[in-house]
Amino acid sequence: MGSNGGGDGAGFNTDALEGVRAILLKPSESLDESTRIAGPDFNDAGLGLAGMLGSLASTGFQASHLGDAIDVVNQMLDWRLSQEKPSVECDEAELDPKYRESVKCKIFLGFTSNLVSSGIRDVIRFLVQHHMVDVIVTSAGGIEEDLIKCLGPTYRGDFSLPGALLRSKGLNRIGNLLLPNDNYCKFEKWIMPVLDQMLLEQSTKNVWTPSKVIGRLGKEINDESSYLYWAHKNNIPVYCPALTDGSIGDMLFCHAVHNPGLIIDIVQDVRLMNDEAIHATPRKTGVIILGGGLPKHHICNANMLRNGADYAVYINTAQEFDGSDSGAHPDEAVSWGKIKGSAKPVKVHCDATIAFPLLVAATFAHKFHGAN
Amino acid sequence: KFKLNSLILAGLLCIRFRKPIYPVRYLSLCPRRRSRRPTVAPANSSRENFWVLIRGEEMSDSEEHQFESKADAGASKTYPQQAGTIRKNGYIVIKNRPCKVVEVSTSKTGKHGHAKCHFVAIDIFTGKKLEDIVPSSHNCDVPHVNRTEYQLIDISEDGFVSLLTDNGNTKDDLKLPTDETLLGQIKDGFAEGKDLVVSVMSAMGEEQINALKDISATSNLPC
Repeated sequence: MGSNGGGDGAGFNTDALEGVRAILLKPSESLDESTRIAGPDFNDAGLGLAGMLGSLASTGFQASHLGDAIDVVNQMLDWRLSQEKPSVECDEAELDPKYRESVKCKIFLGFTSNLVSSGIRDVIRFLVQHHMVDVIVTSAGGIEEDLIKCLGPTYRGDFSLPGALLRSKGLNRIGNLLLPNDNYCKFEKWIMPVLDQMLLEQSTKNVWTPSKVIGRLGKEINDESSYLYWAHKNNIPVYCPALTDGSIGDMLFCHAVHNPGLIIDIVQDVRLMNDEAIHATPRKTGVIILGGGLPKHHICNANMLRNGADYAVYINTAQEFDGSDSGAHPDEAVSWGKIKGSAKPVKVHCDATIAFPLLVAATFAHKFHGAN
Repeated sequence: KFKLNSLILAGLLCIRFRKPIYPVRYLSLCPRRRSRRPTVAPANSSRENFWVLIRGEEMSDSEEHQFESKADAGASKTYPQQAGTIRKNGYIVIKNRPCKVVEVSTSKTGKHGHAKCHFVAIDIFTGKKLEDIVPSSHNCDVPHVNRTEYQLIDISEDGFVSLLTDNGNTKDDLKLPTDETLLGQIKDGFAEGKDLVVSVMSAMGEEQINALKDISATSNLPC
């Protein structure tokens, strides 16, 4: 009895163990084709920025997304028409290999005002100065903050500074940046004569649009630290359909009380913006969007008219649970036709003040300095 | 030496008073020239060597200021006042029209630039609403608004009124007001033979009747 029991008991134990083992230690699929996770090795003295950026893709979480974004942007920059098969209906001139080599991807850059208040403005200035982007879309603050920085500086503050105290000192807080009221007073003093002049130049043939107004402001500021100056110089259009939603709007309001009559036509600008996307063919289009809101939607909407952008990189901290467009993932844009189904878009959930300089260092700056 | 001092003093006084000032020996003055009057204190105590500073005569007609009557105020139709001090029910000039302020709102210095005062005012003659936004530290023009009362003597066929002024003259260059109620009151009152006193508001070269009083009941005012 004992030996039987013992024998049965031993058999039962082995079966149970086998069963448990089968559950816990289920054989896994082999993942040899996937990337292995490995971070940057700081033991390596010669790692440098390039090495660290190269390790992003394999670090995991948002670093991996950033690494993917770097790849996508590099693809945007490397693409040439010569890589595509000539379409059936293209004409002789388009078949010329030299021409095909020269056709590059059209890059749309969109960003929100707070980034221009921050130091990212200088990164944007680098891109615009060297004509590395083709179209810019931003909100009203993105225009005026750049101009104001040429007239007076922005200072570092703190998120926790009490509002009432700041108001009594005439300091405006943008996150942890501080903008003195004086800067806006200087901006008012600078812009009023420009608006007067614009009103005089207005006629039935020469109607102002937001992009023309911005081009004029870029010309007037005449300061190499401003990205608008370079945008004017390099003929890069800057679109801002909501130009009145900022200090510029206040200035237009005060100006209109004394000198009414200035008209700014947004219909013309929407035609120009959509044409940028529609007539981009045979070029491919890529979108790099920092933040959400108006710039994000405006760019994606324009690309919808050409059946979607070919490359897309979003860098923002917005979430999709509330159904907002700002937080929407690129896949949602694919459902609208704003991004092509064949594209591999990337969203990096990160504050653009961290992610964007790293992105530019690994892509635009790397190619720019590498070429030189 | 005294002459030099006097010359220097004369020069300084010329700058101060903006009139030609000449140092002249005191003795040479009296008794001959009576038209000029010596003014400032002498440069030294000795009688013979008095150098007195004379205020020279102007090239223009009169040295004294004439007080201009308000009726032909050439330069003083308005006076400047800081925008931040103008309150409701005050007066302000907007787009060259004299207006009475109905609403003032100020916004402190901020994203829109300097602190601003937003005025909503009504033109005192046409009744139209006008608006203006002025930085609080700027000066605005405030019109001189005068109210004078005249007795109504006659209404002419083409709409002009004849008024009796303080000194007994008639004033005939005013038209009847355009405001219908006031117009009705004047015409009816006059037709009934009542003694009417009209209040005329004048500002920036324009005048208009803006109020009416019936004084037939009282016998205080002169006919």
